[in-house]
Amino acid sequence: MSGTDTENARSYVLIQIGDRRFALPASEVSELAPPVRLHQFPHNSPLVSGIIVRRGRLVPVYDICSLLTGKGSPTHQFYLVAVRHFGSACEPAAIPVNGDSELVTADTVQVTSPAYVSNRLMHGGESIEVLNLDRLVAFESREAELNS
Amino acid sequence: MKIAAHDAVKARKARKPEAVILFNVSNQLFAIAADSVQEIRSTDSLGAALEIEQQEIPKVRHTIERGHRTYYVVNACTHFGLRVVRPTLVLMLRQIRVAVLVDKIERMAELSGLHALPRAFVGTERQWYRGLACLDDQVIPVVSPMGFLTSQEFERLDGAAAEASRHNLERAVQI
Repeated sequence: MSGTDTENARSYVLIQIGDRRFALPASEVSELAPPVRLHQFPHNSPLVSGIIVRRGRLVPVYDICSLLTGKGSPTHQFYLVAVRHFGSACEPAAIPVNGDSELVTADTVQVTSPAYVSNRLMHGGESIEVLNLDRLVAFESREAELNS
Repeated sequence: MKIAAHDAVKARKARKPEAVILFNVSNQLFAIAADSVQEIRSTDSLGAALEIEQQEIPKVRHTIERGHRTYYVVNACTHFGLRVVRPTLVLMLRQIRVAVLVDKIERMAELSGLHALPRAFVGTERQWYRGLACLDDQVIPVVSPMGFLTSQEFERLDGAAAEASRHNLERAVQI
């Protein structure tokens, strides 16, 4: 499954969230932002912890650490800015990460569970889940709605 | 790929600067359009506030009469889900029968643009805020005066207020 030269190989950004590594398709990632100020204000949207400002744009921050690792967010230092899709429109979305990010090219295998994982890739002998950010946030929003 | 391009464009569009009042509620800074505020008063000067008996809308406990209109007093801490602190000021809004209890006024400012609330925000904050402003390296929610009470809440409060005044009248007749 691993390899860099097969026709199915694509680029992924590996990120460290809590004590686990995850991947996001590189095509969905725009930058790794430095530790900038997190602006917070009252709201009741699940997962959203605040806003960072990047290049004059307001980027919502999704704190997905506890959802993915079952543990609270450590003091995160960087933000991975990716893209969230809303129908035909897109919006930047930041995820707190610890800064150890890596761009890799790898084959993936499709998985169906959990719902927010679209694929799994092998890198350095490790099996890494490729996150689908849209599904992850939608999943959590649905859960929050049911709980409320 | 268009990444929220419309948000940036909206904020950049040349607009007449908008005067806002920056106010504080439970250590959180908010902005409100200056022309939507009719009057700012100290809570000490609101001796004539009447208590309204209703449990459905806990953020409203009192009414104030101004110019033959009944204003509902909304506690901004409760409205925004913040830790309740003792308010010192009340903002009487202009086009809506709402008075808002706040902690303090920070200052006036001018906004040259307003960012739309990102789509990530899906809760009641979409009614609370007109958008977000960037001012002195701070992102500040700009509140919507119409977001303090919904039309259904007004209906319920009007019902409760009418009931209370009928009650008071009956009591006065008995005395």
